[in-house]
Amino acid sequence: MNKASKGSMVAIAAALLVSYAGYASLQNHSPSASAAAHRVAKKHVAAGAIHLQETGSTLLFPLFQSWVPAYKKVASNVFITPAGTGSGVGIQDASSGAVQIGASDAFMNNGQLASAPGILNIPLAISAQQIMYNVPGLKKSVHLHLTGNVIAQMFLGNIKYWNAPQIQALNKGIRLPHHAIVPVHRQDGSGDTFLFTQFMTDTNAKWAKNVQFGTSVNWPQVTSALGAVGNNGVVQLASQTPGSIAYVGISWLNNALHQGLGEAELQNKAGKFVLPTAATIKAAANMMIRHTPKDERISLIYAPGAQSYPIINYEYAIVNKKQANPATATAVKNLLLWAISVKGGNKPMFMNKVHFLPLPASIAPLSRAQINQIKG
Amino acid sequence: MKFSSAFSKLFKVATGIAAGGPLLIVLVIIIALVIDSIPALRYQGWSFFTGTSWNMGNAYASTLSIHGGEKAAFGASFGILPFIVGTLSTSLIALVIAIPVAVLTALILVYKVPKSLGKVISPMIELLAGIPSVVYGLWGILVVAPFVQHVLGPWLMHLGTIIPFLAGPIQTGYGLLTAGLVLAVMIIPIVTSTTRDLLMQVPQLPMEGAYALGLTSFEGIRFIALPWIRRGLFGAVVLGWGRALGETMAVLMVSGGAANMPANLYSAVTTMASAIAADLDSAMNDYTHMSVHALTLLALTLLVITLVTNVAARLLVYLGRRGPDVEVQA
Repeated sequence: MNKASKGSMVAIAAALLVSYAGYASLQNHSPSASAAAHRVAKKHVAAGAIHLQETGSTLLFPLFQSWVPAYKKVASNVFITPAGTGSGVGIQDASSGAVQIGASDAFMNNGQLASAPGILNIPLAISAQQIMYNVPGLKKSVHLHLTGNVIAQMFLGNIKYWNAPQIQALNKGIRLPHHAIVPVHRQDGSGDTFLFTQFMTDTNAKWAKNVQFGTSVNWPQVTSALGAVGNNGVVQLASQTPGSIAYVGISWLNNALHQGLGEAELQNKAGKFVLPTAATIKAAANMMIRHTPKDERISLIYAPGAQSYPIINYEYAIVNKKQANPATATAVKNLLLWAISVKGGNKPMFMNKVHFLPLPASIAPLSRAQINQIKG
Repeated sequence: MKFSSAFSKLFKVATGIAAGGPLLIVLVIIIALVIDSIPALRYQGWSFFTGTSWNMGNAYASTLSIHGGEKAAFGASFGILPFIVGTLSTSLIALVIAIPVAVLTALILVYKVPKSLGKVISPMIELLAGIPSVVYGLWGILVVAPFVQHVLGPWLMHLGTIIPFLAGPIQTGYGLLTAGLVLAVMIIPIVTSTTRDLLMQVPQLPMEGAYALGLTSFEGIRFIALPWIRRGLFGAVVLGWGRALGETMAVLMVSGGAANMPANLYSAVTTMASAIAADLDSAMNDYTHMSVHALTLLALTLLVITLVTNVAARLLVYLGRRGPDVEVQA
C-alpha cells in the first residue's frame, strides 16, 4: 500500500468516525437540542429579549398568528415565532425541548405522557368541527339532518347513495339525488381526524370495533373514498367532487361555505339536530365542565344536553413544566395567562375570526393552575 | 519545506474526506434506516410487504399490541402492498406516456431541427426538470384532474369493453391516471436529454452510409440510430423511472390519497413516498415508536427499489455510450 492510498484510507476512516458520531448524536438529539435552546435562551436573557417558539396544530395556527402582534404591545421584549406543522410535531417538539410551546387539537395519551413526564396539556380555547357535503341539486338554504351512525355507515361503505332510505328517513320532504357518496378524509395526521373518528366511535358499534379513533386511522376500504392533505385540501377536494361528504375544522367554515359546500345539522346525544353555533358549542362545553379533570385531558365529543353540538374540543398548548431558565419560564407563563384571559387572547375579536369560543369561566382556573406550575 | 509537506498531507486528507463523502453519506443513511427499521420487521414479519392494511393503531387505547416481542399501539398492523402497487402503477403509467414523447422529441432535436433552433429548444426542455414538484402538483389539481374527470376519462371509458381496467367508474379526477400524467411530464425532460445525448454519440459514417444506400430518414433511425443506442436508451428510461418512483409532493397532491388497491385506472391510490410524507406527523404521536419504525422500513424499501433501478440505469447508459461493437467483444 503506497503512501497516498494510506492517507486516503485514514481519511475515509476519519470520515466514517465523524459521520457515525453525527448519527449517534442525531439518535440522541433531544438533550443537545435543549442544551442549544438553553444557550440561546441564556444569551437573550442577558440582552433582555426572550424568544419563544411555537409549533403544532394548523387549526390553532391562525389564532396564534393573530396573537403575535397583539402580544407585542403587552410585552415588547418577547419575540414569538409560531409555525403550523401539525399536532404530532408540536407534541414532539415541546416534549424534546426543541420549542417552548406545542399546539395540539388532541390531548396527549397516557403512553406519551409516561414517556415525557412533566408535560402539561393546557386548553387555550374551544373549537368545533362541522360535517360538510356537496350534494348536487340541493338548495343552499337546506341543512341536511345527519346522525353519527349514518355518517359512519357512509364512511364504512354500507350506505352508498345519497337517496338511501337511512338518509331519506332523516330528511323527509327533501328530494335527494341518486348520486354516489364520496367520503373524503384527511390523508395527513390530523387533530380533526381524532375528533371525527371519536364521534364515529361513540355513535357506531361497527366503527368502534373495527376502526376506532386516532390522529390517523386505517380508513375503511371504500372504492369511492378519497384523501386530502390539510383542511384546505379537504375543502378544495370536496367542493370539486359531487357527492362528497367531509369533516372540516370550524376555522375553515367561512371558506367552505364560500366554496359552495353544505353544512349538516348533526344529531346530538339528546336526539336533537343542531348546527355548530356559539350557543350550541357553549351548551356542549357547559355539559362537560364538571367532567373535566385537573390535568384537563378529556374528550368533549358527544356531550349530553338538548342544545349541545356533538363535535367540540379543547385546543391545547403542550408545555414542559420545567423551562430552560426562570426568564423563559416567566415569559411562557405570562404569554399563556394572557392567551386564556378574556381581556387578552380570548377576546371576541380573536375568537370570532376563527369561530372558536373562549374557555368557560369555570375551566379557565384549571388552565391557570396548570400554567402556574411552569418553572425555570 | 516542512510547512509545505504538512500542507500536502492536509490536502490529501481533505480530498480523501471529500471524495469519500457521497459514498459515506449513502452508507450512513442506509445504516440508520436499517437499524431503525428492524423493530418493525420483528413486529410485522414478512407480511409487511404483502399485507394490504396500514393501521398505526389506537394510541389512546389502554392496552398495547405485542408481536415478535415488540410493542405497538393497540390494533397496529403495517402492510405496505397498496403503497408498493400505487408506486409501481403510477410510475409505469408515467413511463408508457413519457417514453414515446421523449424519444420522438430527442430524435427531432438531433436529426430534424436546425442546430441553432435545437440550441434554443434543448435548454427549454431541461428547464422543465427544474420546476419545483409542488408547482407540478398544483398544475395537476387545477388542470390535469378536471381534464381527466371530464374529457380524457370519459373518452377512455369507451375502451372499457375491450380492457376492463379502463371501464371506470370515474369518481373524481384524482387518482392513478392523473398521477401518472403529472409524473410523465416530470420525467420527460430527463429521458429526453439523456436520449438526445446518446443520439449525438451515434457516428455520422453509418448514418451517411444508410442515406447513401437510399434508406429514408425513418429507416436510418430505425435500423442504425436506435439499435446503436438501444441499451443506453433503456438506461435513460430507467433513470426517468427512478425519478417517478421517488416523487412525493406532486403525487401526494393528485393521487386521491386512499390506501386501497386500485380497482381501475381512475382509482385513488397512495404511493410509498407520499405515504411517508402524509403519515409522519401521526406516527410521532405513537409513543411506542413502532409507527416511525414502520415508516422507516417503508423508506428503506423505497430506497432499495430506487437504488437498484438507478444503478442498473447508470450501468446501461455507460455500456450504451460505448456503442454496440463493445457488445460483440464482450
